[in-house]
Formats: sequence, structure tokens, C-alpha cells
Amino acid sequence: MVAVEDSLHGWFKREVLLHEAALLRYIGRVWRRPDEVHDLCQETYARVYESAVKSRPNAARSFLFATAQHLMVDRLRHERVVSIEAAGDVDALNVLVDEISAEQRVSGYQELKRLARALDLLPPKCREVIWLRRVEDLPQKEIAARLGIAEKTVEKHISKGGRLLADQLFGDGRMGGDAGGAVLDMEDDNARGKP
Amino acid sequence: MHAESHRQVQEAAGAWLARCDADDWTDEDRMRFDQWLNESPLHLVAFLRLEHAWERARRLKSLGAGLKSGGIPSPGNWVLSPFFDDAPSANHSSRPDAGMGSSGSSGMRSTHRRRGEVRRVGAFAAAVLLAMISVLTWYLWPAGSAYRTPVGGTASVPMPDGSLVILNTDSEIRVTVTEVERRVTLDQGEAFFEVARDSRRPFVVLAGDKRIVAVGTRFSVRREDDGVRVVVTEGRVRVETVGQSTQEPAELLASGSVAYAGAAGTVLQKGLPAQAEEILSWRSGLLVFDEVTLADAVEEFNRYNTRKIVIHDADIATMRVAGSFRATNAEAFARLLERGYPLRVERRGKELILRGR
Repeated sequence: MVAVEDSLHGWFKREVLLHEAALLRYIGRVWRRPDEVHDLCQETYARVYESAVKSRPNAARSFLFATAQHLMVDRLRHERVVSIEAAGDVDALNVLVDEISAEQRVSGYQELKRLARALDLLPPKCREVIWLRRVEDLPQKEIAARLGIAEKTVEKHISKGGRLLADQLFGDGRMGGDAGGAVLDMEDDNARGKP
Repeated sequence: MHAESHRQVQEAAGAWLARCDADDWTDEDRMRFDQWLNESPLHLVAFLRLEHAWERARRLKSLGAGLKSGGIPSPGNWVLSPFFDDAPSANHSSRPDAGMGSSGSSGMRSTHRRRGEVRRVGAFAAAVLLAMISVLTWYLWPAGSAYRTPVGGTASVPMPDGSLVILNTDSEIRVTVTEVERRVTLDQGEAFFEVARDSRRPFVVLAGDKRIVAVGTRFSVRREDDGVRVVVTEGRVRVETVGQSTQEPAELLASGSVAYAGAAGTVLQKGLPAQAEEILSWRSGLLVFDEVTLADAVEEFNRYNTRKIVIHDADIATMRVAGSFRATNAEAFARLLERGYPLRVERRGKELILRGR
């Protein structure tokens, strides 16, 4: 049973996440509140995942977009005040799907390029930490010693850096749920503790 | 509508990612993590997404190949790396709010125009430097150098002609570059070759009685018990048997091919370059399994680790495993198996023994 679940995670990572940029574009065209786009994207993921637990769809891409569409229709229904134009757009979505989601699977080379650029867009301290962890393979503890910062701070840089890398790698480069992708200054060791 | 905002979920997922990555992961962490994951599918998918990005980011390692340890290159200096042959940024939109428009294949937007310019100047300087270095190494390159990696290690070996060899775990090569030929003898293990185009000097890999010939291409060769496996990700290569009469046609392998050449002949499996790339994910320190048997996965792991995994019960050997794993962390792999499969891990001396549960 659990074996199935494990390969489900692999499927989700390999087949679903690569459409994120297209999915964000798709939702962004229809949904009139930009601050909810990333939220809808995650909600779509959760729904896709839950259906895939029961039965894994053959075509991940079209299933993903169909799910996003249903989700948006559902949300519109539940809202008392419905924006007429938004509702109209949802009907026109079928045409858009193929046009927007004609995303190519990125090659290993392109992925490495994206990663390198993503790394370069990190704030300097964060970039340094991610480099030491991912490229030089230093444990968090050693990174802390090397840079003369607290271990908790290293952990925070990794937390932030991981999220920024994911947004660059899969998405549109905007940080989900974090207005404008503002970068936290994490030099403060007294910042809030563990998860 | 939602008790928890999208942002809170993302922050929690990030915090867990960093916690999992730390050295002082405790049982209590594990308990709280499982609990958090089970609270909502939103938590699970947010975590899977970050975990995947984090795993993929291991590929950055290949950028560090050849750099001095401890020195972190400044942003935009990737032209020095053999992986980036094009100067970045010139054709990238620099609108900071280009919205949802990062198109898949062209990669990401650079957000600051000024950074782009600095990069171009840097790229030029780096190219000049690189040219000087190649000229120098051309003269200094020793004939017939040998390289070997320990179990679990990988190494990048730049060649004076601009080609690059990436050695996998427990492997050994000898490199000879002359006026008429570039030759690598693979004495043991596996190596990936990124061949610089040079039609005057063919690039030849000798592996046992097989000779693999390429001109300007990317491929890997791996020695197995009874032959050689060749994976081609770009261009074409030819596989010949040393000392065989010439009327026997040599196998010509195209991009995306995976071929096993043994005593009985060559078995060819045509695929897509992307799949071929996946087989070669060891270059970034990962083993990627697409529903292979546990027995095969374990065999693969044991190539990278002195700490061997042993399957004790035959009935668990045929279970299917999928996912990507760090090649050198057999312990973590065993732990994941224990968590997700009906088996338990027994640690005896240097061995990790898997038993059915």
C-alpha cells in the first residue's frame, strides 16, 4: 500500500510540478484577483494529489488544468458576489488550455541553467548558504561555523532559499504568498524558532 | 474560508524542508512532521514541491566541478563552467513585472538590466581567461594521465581539447590526447563524456573489447560484468568490437539510445534524450528509479557505497521502487524504505540488512 504512495510522490514531482508556470498563467488569465493565484495553484495540486491517490490520471497535464478549472468554478459558485466577467472567462477556458499549456519538458541542460539563474537571484547570504549546502555538500552545522552565524539562521536561509528556488524552477519566479517576492533579512538570530 | 493562509503553508513547508535537511533531526521532529503532513493535503503537496526543487538543486553541484572548494563564484559567472556555452541574459526580458510570462524553455527572466550588462562584460573576461587556460593546459597536459574515483565519489576531468569527462563512483580512466586522436580507456566503472567538436581527431573510448567512437557529442559508457552499456544524450556514436573483422557492421547509436554491447552482440533500446538524461542523473549525485525492483535499486546503491545493503528475504526483492535518492546515502534510502514499505532494516556491522515484516 505504502509502496504505491511512494511512487505517487514521484509521479507528482515528475509529471505535475513541471506544468506550474503554465498553470499559473492559466489561472492568472481567468482569476481577477492576482493575490489568489498561487493559492489556487496549491489548492489545485492538493485536489490532483487526492484524486491520484484513488486512481492516477493518464494525462497529468490535462487533468491538472481540468482540476484548476473545476476549482475556479466551485469558488465562483461559493462566492455570493460573482464577477460576471470572471465567470464568462471560465467558460472560454477550454480554448485557452491547449494554447497556454503547450509547455515543453525542460531538458537536463535547461534545468541546470534555470537552477544557476535561480541561484544567482537569491539574496547574497542566502545564496552563499545554498551553495555551501548543495554544491559543497557541507552539513548545516559546518555552514554555520564557516559563516559565523547561528545554526538556526542557516536553517532559515535554507527554508527561504528552498522556496525561492522552487518558485524559479517550477513557477513564474514570484514567491507564492509573499507579496512582490520581498526578501527577508535573516541575519537576525532571534527570529522565531523551529517549525 | 481557509483557516490557514497560503503564505503560512508555504512558510511551514519551507521550515520543514530546512529541518529535514539539518543534522539534528529528532524523533520528536519526525512525529511533528508526520502530523503536519497528515493535517492537510495542502501541506503535503507544498512540501513535495519544495522537496523536489531541493533535490533538483543538487544538480548545481556540477557547476562547482573544477572550482576550488570554499570559493563561491559571484553571480553570473557560469560561463566558466563547461555547461554554459552561451553568454547569458542578452535575449531575456528585463521587465521586472513581466507577470506570468516566464516561458518554459527560455528559462528565467533576469530582473535587473544592469546585472545583465555586468554579466556580459564578465562573460567576455571569462572567455578570454578560459582561452588562456586552455592554451596553457594544452602544453602542460601530461600524456596518458590516469584518474580514479573512490566508492561514492564522482569527479570532473576537463581535457585540453575542451572535452569534459565526468567519472562516476569507483571508476578509473586513462586519458591520452595526441595530434591524431583523443583516447580515453575506461578500465573500470562508468564515465560520461561531453566531447568538444574536432573532426580532425576522433574521440575514442576503449572499454574492454569495445571501442566507442564519437565526434562532438555527449554520451556515457559503463562497464558491466558481461559487456558495456552506452547511453547517448546528444549526437551520434559508433560502437565497435576491437579486433573484429570490418565486414561486421558497427552499431551507430543516435541521441536517446541506450545500448548494451556484450559478447553476443548489441541490444539497442531507442528512447528519448530526456530519458537518457535521467539514466545519467548520477552526474548530479542522484539515483533516479522509475519503478524498478528493489533488487535492482539495491544493486545500484551498492555501487556507490561501502556500506552495503543486503536483501534477506526473496519476497521483498521484487517490490517496485520509484523516486530519486542521493546515491551516497544508503542509510537514508534504507530509512525511507522502512518507512514506506513492509520491511525493516537491521544494521549489522557495515551492512544494512532488509527483512520482510
